[in-house]
Amino acid sequence: MAAPCMSCGAAASYRLFLAGRVSFAREQGLWKAAASGLQTGTRCQILRLKHSPGVTKKNVAALRRESYTVDFIKKQIEEFNIGKRHLANMMGEDPETFTQEDVDRAITYLFPSGLFEKRARPIMKHPEEIFPKQRAIQWGDDGRPFHFLFYTGKQSYYSLMHEAYGKVLHVEERQDQLRAKGLFSEKPKTKDPIGSRWLIKEELEEMLVEKLSDQDYAQFTRLLERLSALPCDAAEEEFVGRFRRTVTIQSKKHLIEPLQYDEQGMAFSTGQGKRKTANAEAVVYGHGSGKIEINGVDYLLYFPVTQDREQLMFPFHFLDRLGKHDVTCTVSGGGRSSQAGAIRLAVARALCSFITEDEVEWMRQAGLLTTDPRVRERKKPGQEGARRKFTWKKR
Amino acid sequence: MAAPTVKVARGWWGLAFGVRRTVLRLPGLTQVRWSRYGPEYQDPQIDKEYYRKPLAQLTEEETYERELRKTQVIKAAPATKTSSVFEDPVISKFTNMMMKGGNKVLARSLMTQTLEAVKRKQFEKYHAASAEEQATIERNPYTIFHQALKNCEPVIGLVPILKGGHFYQVPVPLADRRRRFLAMKWMIAECREKKPRRMLMPEKLSQELLEAFYSRGPVIKRKHDMHKMAEANRALAHYRWW
Repeated sequence: MAAPCMSCGAAASYRLFLAGRVSFAREQGLWKAAASGLQTGTRCQILRLKHSPGVTKKNVAALRRESYTVDFIKKQIEEFNIGKRHLANMMGEDPETFTQEDVDRAITYLFPSGLFEKRARPIMKHPEEIFPKQRAIQWGDDGRPFHFLFYTGKQSYYSLMHEAYGKVLHVEERQDQLRAKGLFSEKPKTKDPIGSRWLIKEELEEMLVEKLSDQDYAQFTRLLERLSALPCDAAEEEFVGRFRRTVTIQSKKHLIEPLQYDEQGMAFSTGQGKRKTANAEAVVYGHGSGKIEINGVDYLLYFPVTQDREQLMFPFHFLDRLGKHDVTCTVSGGGRSSQAGAIRLAVARALCSFITEDEVEWMRQAGLLTTDPRVRERKKPGQEGARRKFTWKKR
Repeated sequence: MAAPTVKVARGWWGLAFGVRRTVLRLPGLTQVRWSRYGPEYQDPQIDKEYYRKPLAQLTEEETYERELRKTQVIKAAPATKTSSVFEDPVISKFTNMMMKGGNKVLARSLMTQTLEAVKRKQFEKYHAASAEEQATIERNPYTIFHQALKNCEPVIGLVPILKGGHFYQVPVPLADRRRRFLAMKWMIAECREKKPRRMLMPEKLSQELLEAFYSRGPVIKRKHDMHKMAEANRALAHYRWW
């Protein structure tokens, strides 16, 4: 039993060690992918020297270390899979149904880390996610590149644009044929409702394993918009769909608590709110006359300033429920304005249980359900306050 | 602690909200202005009527905008704004400009006292006037306030432009918000500086507002002075390049 554990431990530790170093390397330039050619032949030696004219010995060594061959990646994937099975065994789970979440949980359990930076903690992920995507060698033994657009410098990007434009021409040709036959019908294309977005530049770069400029990205987006505006068939829709990502609807992230009932059968709901250093907890009752009690004191006595009382009233007034609920809340910390803000947030959250989903979305868009992240900025040394500098004296 | 990010220009709907755009980092330049909200956060829409509008009445752009807002993260509503009918953005801005040392309570009480004073004066005039004049006397302090500030807004302003080693006062058209700001600033400055010693701010301010409402008084005079100087320096208008 000890031997397999040790080997898996070694494999795991090797991968963990690598992960820590390599995940930062991911951000480095992907042009170094071309340096994968470094490992073969002298003509690539000349290329390498041209690439790095003034680079020090240390940097050249770093460049060489970052190239990963296909065999190396394959071996890493095999080791990862074996290591996953060993890990499942260790944790007493079934190796067949051991998912990535289980792996993450097992690693956090076995290697608890108090490090603040999450990226520095031990991870065990599939090598595809850890090692940056590299391009295979672009040319054959005779030195001739495989792709016909190699000498543009961005072969994947230009081939993609070429393909997309080809599809546009194809669709237009089809339309012309239909028009010639007289079968063409001007069907307005239904505008896609907000549910998906185009890939952003970083995502596209990752997909093509190539660096792009802003103009390239703009051209790409424009071409695909043009293609999607034309009547396409299934294959073209699928092609366009490859470059779209779904967009989450924000309100779905909110979990609305169901109503609770007390001994008298009165419906109530609780909510918590924070603002600066004030913490508030509010209980909103379903039927009432608009009484608000804070820390056992009536709201008129607790908040003598009109502005604070307006803040308390805001969620009720927004939903037209101004005399229909009773509120009992406790608040501590902060000053008068932050306590009012905390209670406002708590009340708004509690009210979510009484209203429809649409109204919850309206409250969210009115800014009633967001915790205000603004806190007091610390004073810095060498300055009088957070931003104010000391008086500048010429001498 | 949120990483420092600068407000990036919004309006490109294709931009993902959840993906944090890395800020352009130039060597030697440190970000000094940042906000606790990321660049993807949008300002809240507090107007109740906007949401109560039935879907059938919305135009295409409005429906699109509604759908778009469902996917955006929204900032928290500020503590000074509510959906109350009594809230006025111009009054709030004026109150903030009058505030000294963060004493909002005092500034707001001065504002309410000013509006009360304006109303009282107008009611006195109303009761003392004959039937025909009563129709012309405006008693709503809010309309008086708005009209007075509108009357004080300059149309054209002066900007010092450096040319040939000298600063010339060049006439320049002003943006709306600049005009509103100048009107409010002149009003407050006038009341603070030219106030008799024992007179309180609400009294003086109500006096100035009423005078500005009838297009007379020192603030209006200042506006006219500004216009006259702009007219006098008309020849320098070509120094402006924007």
